[in-house]
Parts: sequence; C-alpha cells; structure tokens
Amino acid sequence: MQQSVIALLKELRAYALEKSLRAAIYYHEEDSYLMRFANSAISLNTNEHLVRLQISVYDGNKHADYEMIADPNQIEPLKRGIDTAAEMASRAQALSYTPSIPCYRETVIDMQAYDPFLAGITNPERLEFFNTLARGLETETIKLSGVFSNGITITAQISTESEHSQYFACTDASITAVLSHQKLKWEVNALQSAQAKTELNPEHLRAELAFLVRQYSQNPAVQLPLGKYTVVFGAAAVGDVLDIFNWVGPNGGMMKRGYSFLKEEQIGQPVFSPRFTLTDDPHCQATYPVSHDLTGKRRERFPLFEAGVLKAFFWSQDDADEFGREATGHSVYHNNLVLSGGEKEVGSLEELAALPREEDILYIPYIHYMNIVNPTAGIFTGSSRFGALLLRKDGSVTVPYNVRVTQSFEDLFGERLEWLSREQCAHNVSLSYGERNPRAIWVPRFICVRGVEISHSNSSY
Amino acid sequence: MKQQLKQNMDKLMAQGATYVDARWYPSEESNSLLMWNGNLKNLSASSQSGVGVRVLYHGAWGFSAASSLEDTAAIFEKALDNARTAAERVDFPVRLAEKDAVRASFVSPNRVDPFTVPLTDKLEFLRMMDTKLNQSGVAQRVAALDFVKRQIVFMDSEGSEIDKTIIDVYPTFEVMGIDKDGEMQSRKYKSARQGSTRGWESLDPEYFSGTAERLVRELNQLLVADNCPKDERSVILLPGIMFLQTHETIGHPLELDRILGYELAFAGGSFVRLEDFGSLRYGSEKLTVRADATLENSPGSFGFDDDGVPAQNNLLIDKGILVGAITGRQMVEEANAKARRQIFSGSSGANRATAFYRVPIERMTNINVDPGTDGSLEDIVRGTERGVILDGDKSWSIGSNREQFHFATDIGWLVEDGEVKGVLKNTTYKGDTLKFYNSLSAVGDESTWEVMYVDNCGKGQPNQIMQLGHGVPVCRFDHVTVGE
Repeated sequence: MQQSVIALLKELRAYALEKSLRAAIYYHEEDSYLMRFANSAISLNTNEHLVRLQISVYDGNKHADYEMIADPNQIEPLKRGIDTAAEMASRAQALSYTPSIPCYRETVIDMQAYDPFLAGITNPERLEFFNTLARGLETETIKLSGVFSNGITITAQISTESEHSQYFACTDASITAVLSHQKLKWEVNALQSAQAKTELNPEHLRAELAFLVRQYSQNPAVQLPLGKYTVVFGAAAVGDVLDIFNWVGPNGGMMKRGYSFLKEEQIGQPVFSPRFTLTDDPHCQATYPVSHDLTGKRRERFPLFEAGVLKAFFWSQDDADEFGREATGHSVYHNNLVLSGGEKEVGSLEELAALPREEDILYIPYIHYMNIVNPTAGIFTGSSRFGALLLRKDGSVTVPYNVRVTQSFEDLFGERLEWLSREQCAHNVSLSYGERNPRAIWVPRFICVRGVEISHSNSSY
Repeated sequence: MKQQLKQNMDKLMAQGATYVDARWYPSEESNSLLMWNGNLKNLSASSQSGVGVRVLYHGAWGFSAASSLEDTAAIFEKALDNARTAAERVDFPVRLAEKDAVRASFVSPNRVDPFTVPLTDKLEFLRMMDTKLNQSGVAQRVAALDFVKRQIVFMDSEGSEIDKTIIDVYPTFEVMGIDKDGEMQSRKYKSARQGSTRGWESLDPEYFSGTAERLVRELNQLLVADNCPKDERSVILLPGIMFLQTHETIGHPLELDRILGYELAFAGGSFVRLEDFGSLRYGSEKLTVRADATLENSPGSFGFDDDGVPAQNNLLIDKGILVGAITGRQMVEEANAKARRQIFSGSSGANRATAFYRVPIERMTNINVDPGTDGSLEDIVRGTERGVILDGDKSWSIGSNREQFHFATDIGWLVEDGEVKGVLKNTTYKGDTLKFYNSLSAVGDESTWEVMYVDNCGKGQPNQIMQLGHGVPVCRFDHVTVGE
C-alpha cells in the first residue's frame, strides 16, 4: 500500500517539477466504518473509502491550494489539479510575508499508530461488541443507542523541494454507547477510544452503564438549586474543555490575533493551579500521534503548562511565517494533549461514589454543546448530559436534571482545582465533518473543582 | 454511468433488497477566498466526485460510498453487505412513505455561474471589502467568499431519476477590535439573501460597502460601550440572531429523527413528543413557523430531497400550536405507527445528505417565522419599556433536548421607556424554550423580515455540514434573563 501511495506522490512531484512549479502534495486516504445504533437496533451501517489529494503551489509570496476527492487510479485528473493550483497561485495576491514551502529532510515511514488487527475488524465483530456491552441492560423502556466508528487513515506528503516523502498510517476506533429511558427521557453513556484492537473492552463499558442505569432507575431525580457546587468532572468533560481550551489558549496565531485569553507576557508566570500540567506529547500513543508534522519537523514533547506556569505558545508554520516566529512542529492535523494526573486514587465512577465526603459532590461526566462566550476572558458555557449524579455527603445518591455551567478556564483550572485522579484515560474527540482525523486527549479520569457556578437548572429531563 | 447504476440497483433488488438508491456526483466544485488583514490567507478550490449507495434489506439500512468508480458493483455489494449485518438487529423495520416516481431536474436560480467568473474579479471584490473594513478601531478584519456548485444525479429502484445543479454563494466578513477593558469585540456579516438568485450577481458591491461601513461604526461603538446589565427584561432579536434562535430551538427540536431518538448518541433528542403534535402550545399566538423548501433563492431550497421527494412548504407551528415536523420518508411511517394515529400524511421532503459519501438524514430546509403585524423595529422599540435589542451570533449553546439555551451576541442596544439609550457589549441571554416562545409579544412586519443563510449546520454520524436558510422578522420576547 505504502509503495503505491509514495509512487503516486513521486509521479505527481515529477509532473510539478516538469512544469517548474514549487509545490507540496498532501495525500489523505480513509477507509471508514460506522455502525450506528438507535432504539436498540442498527439504524445505519456505513463505510466510505475516500482518497483526497491536496496540492499547494507556492509562487514567491503567493500561494494557492487545490483539493480533490478523486480516483487515485486516474492520474490525469490529478495532474490537472496541479495545473489548476498553479494557475490559481499565479493569479493570487501576494502575501505580506513569504510562506514556507515544506522541505522534507528525510524519508519517514511511520506506522506506530497502525494496528492491523483493528484495521481488519469486521461487521460481525462490531455487532458482537455492542451486543456484549448492552447484555441484560436493555428493556422495553430502556433502549440502546450508540456508535462504533473505526477506520484506517493514511496520510502522506511530498514536495518539490526534496525527494523525500512522509507516510503515516493510523487505526482508530471510537465507541459511544447510550442507554436512554423512552418515557422518562434520561440518558446515560459510556465511551471508549482505541488505537489498537486490544484496547477494545465491551465489558468495561457494560460495567459503567450498569452502574449508571442502577443509579438512574433507583434514585429520585431533582432540579438542583442554582448556586455554587463542588463538582467532579469526568474524563469526557475534561477532554472536551481542553479541546476548546487548546484552540483559544496557547495557540500563537490566535493569541496574536486577539482571540486568546492568554498573553505573551504571561510566559513563565503562574496562570493556573500548581496541579495543572498540560503537555503536547507526541509520544502518547493513545492520542494518535505522528512523528513529524506536515512540514517535516520532528514532533517533540512540548510543555504548555508546568505546575500552572505557562511555558510556551505553539506556532504552526503559517502563523510563524506571518508573525516572524519559529515554528514549533505544530503544522499538524491535531495536537496530542496530555493533562497530567494527580494523586487522588479513584479510577472508576463506582469508586468515586464510594469515597467518603464531607460535602455534596456534583458529578458531571459530559458537557454538551460547549461554546466560547467570551474568548478574551476565556469563558465557556455548556450543559451537563449523560449520567450526572449528585453524591450527597450522607452517602446517598440523587440524579440531577441537566444543569448549565458558564465559567472561565481559570475557574476550572485555577486555585479552585482541588484534585486530579492519578488514573488517566483517552477521551476521543474525533469529528468527521470532513476527512477522517482521529484525535484523542489523555486526561485524568476525574478532576474536582470547588465553587463551580450552576447558572441554569432544568426542571425535568 | 446511469445505465451502470440502474443495472446494479436491479441486481441488488434481485438479491432481496426492498429499496436501493444511488447518488452520483459527477462533479462538486468549491472555491474559497479569505483575506485577513489584507493578506490572502486562503485561496483554494476543490472538486469531488463519487457515488453513494443506500440499500434497504429486511427493514435495515446499509450504505457504502467510494470516490473510485473503477468497480461500482463492489460499492453496491458492500452496501448490501452492510444492510445484511444491520438486519440482524432490527427493532422497527424501516418502511418508506409512499411517493411518486419522479423524472425531473432542478437548477437553482442563477444568472452568472461564479465558476465562470475570473479570479481577478473575485479578488477585486475582496480587496474592496478589505479596504472598507480597514478603518480606525479595527484590529482584525476578515473578508471571505465561498462558492459551491453541485451536480447530483439521484436514481432509485422505484423509477425516480433526478438531475440537480445547485449553485450557492456565501460572502462573509468580520471586524474585531480591543475594547477599553482589553476584551475583544466583533461585528460580522453572515450570508443572507440578496435578490432573487443565487449566483455571482447576488454580490452587490454597493450593499456590501454600506454594510461594511455600518459594522465598522458599530464596532467602534462597542469598543467604548458598557457591559450588558445582568437582569430580566425584554429582548428584541434582530434577524442576525433571531435566525439562530429559530434554528436551534425550533428547527432542530422538530427534526423527526431527533424526536424518535435517532440522534441520542451524539446531537441529542428533543423535548417534543409524538403526542404533542396538534396540541402543544409551543409559543404565543404570534408565532407561526413553516418549513419552506420552495422559497426562492436560499440554500434551503433544492427542488427534490435525497429521497426524491419534491420540495414543499409546510406549517410547523400555527399560531403557537405545534402542527408539523421536518421529515423524510422513513421517519413518518415510524412516527405514525408509534403514535398509533396518522400524524403525518407523507414525507415533507427534508431528507438530505451533505455529500455523496454521506447518508441522507432529516435536515432543515428554510425554517421561517412568518412576519407579524407589530410594525417596524422602531414601532416595537417604542412599545418596549425595559429591553435590549440584540444582533449577531457570537456563541450558542443548547440543551441536549433543545429544552434550554444560552446565546451571546455581538452587540446590544439598551432600550428604556421606548427609546434606544446606547450600545451594550458582552450581551447574552438565556431561557427555557417553551417559556421563551410563549413570551413572544411582538413580531415585526414584512419590512423586518430577512432570509439568513446557514452554511454550517452540523448533525449526524458520520457528521454532516448542511446549508439552509431562515426567513425571520424582528421578534420581541419578554421577561428574559440577560447578561449572564
């Protein structure tokens, strides 16, 4: 497979050189599978095999891109794509800076995130996985929903600036399992992210779901009074907050354009709690890393916050070119964020519920529909969903209706950050609006924050 | 190619499929230009082609798509294989509502195909916009143009064959500045209907020039504005935010697949229940809403949906009462069966896919609020004791059943005793959906009604971005929490 991809790229490079062009060629191939469940049935079973080719042509300070979803066996239309990009670049308006064209210094074949066993998973296996995780939990009124999404993603790059190419292959799976009550309308979920087939564990999901269904079936539901709570956020909530944080936080380009809540002069200064250490770590296999970025820079471990101190902003090549900075190996499809664990020994929801406590704890596993209310102030909002619990100090459990949290990142990760669990897990944050781009964030299973403001509280499910 | 598709459909029907359709995209082109602070940061184009095949087998769906057409038979076989697996876990066997076999074509109204316009003309338009936006107080300015042209061939095993050519143009621009407190403020223009066509000619330089001047002026007012008060008052939503309010809290909750629980794993459900149709008071008597896919010149008008059902104009909410939903062929049959009564008499023609490689699902068309009888914006302001006028979508967050929401807007204007008192920044409002619409106290007339485009509505797994429209007037809602 890799030979045919590289051969295709080399042929296209040769064509670009023939035309005296300076060009970078990016290959993306996905073989995607998605089994979707709703109302305890398979509502959809799909696969898509798509090849995308992006051609970037550079003409001094001018630059243009042409992308195709096309048949890789038909070379002539692909060459015409190079012609189109060249034509566009020649007519483009010059940038005020010179964009860097990638120059690959070595040939890279990186299959570290590829698992042939996950790549070969079949329809019957996907179905069996869901049958196992839902075993005994579905009833006439409690129905199964969910998704088993998996795929193979191949990316490769070449440019006219050298003969070297880069080739990356990756496998991924993301599972969401939801049990919902048809009449009462509550819903609980369990999530799993896998890079290798051995990481798939339907029994683990089943145990989580069984615990939550028990709580939701046996305990009364209440509308929480508005006010401040000590909140334990689950891995999905933390991962999703960090995903949006990464976008408007330590991103050099966003900072220079005024969208970040962080300022350059804060580098080296304490911004958050000493408990907060966030790293972009391309060695964390669960986050689907690549060894080199799209410009050929080797990806290195990159501390963003250490013990609450802002260490650096990351710079993509284009932002670095525009703002006169050094690129940091962040021309990537995604970062590999790792939030360091703490010292709290709690590895599961059951263990969390069993912990002795001196106050009521609101557990929010998942934040639905998060958005940035004020980027400069770092304020976000979102609603709880999927299995929130109020763990009362007397040891009892109550089920809260959904609540809204509108807080700043500082509220979460600053001095009110009480503890982080030692145990960590991958939270899959992949979206598939366009091309497949598996992403995950490695986070503590739980973090605890004091004084979280609940600004809206539903009166029913 | 059509012959090949037909033969493969026949072959699958002979193997036990009960329905097959294919969407062949001979060509989909796009072209994007984005100028940021005078730099042409993005000049790109794309093309895509391929086939998506949907198969119904023993009451279950299978789907397969590929960009390589070397072996189309394999795409059909894969779709059938996927359906066979799905048929092993069926709860309610899929039945499709009746429709007529259609042999037709649709071309969106255009005079000048933007893909025939020279790049230099597009750049000139962007430069003009950039110059207009490059004014005192503006720290960041963005002007963008996006063009899309889709050619779609739809064929199904019931004998339909539909050719569609759809062109859309999306101009957007935004200015940002840092206010007196060091916070970023912004004003933006989002694509909206200009004239009766959807081609290059819809870009009227004079209109955009005037709009740019207004937005820069408003940005400068924002930079010295006071914060939004934190209290309860009336909100007067201009079309620049009313469209999103409608989208998120009327459009999405009335998608029948959400109501039936098909989106619970991701996008969420709906507070609406099947028993609510015909009786639920969704809003005050001033609220009438329709799904109108026949509206001239909007991305929510497409001739025929991806079930092959013709575009329709249907009431969703009639004088405050819930009467209709956004539906495709599959969901109406299931809903009627589950409700044990006929709520829906057929598909409303709203099943659409974003690309050949995605499966059609219920999507909004043009979800429009009818204009009212409460006059102009000025008339509504005059009748408002304590309020805030809001415009521009800054952020939006909605409960998973669409039962509650929180919106932030780009700008607000304080209203006291029937008069506009000044500009407000960091404006937000929130509410419970039903309570909010039942507090609708004024609906502007035709003069306030605008069709706003949405080019980025996300839904489904695998995720799909869809384009649609919202025709909305100025609306006033009372007793709303603002400033939080």
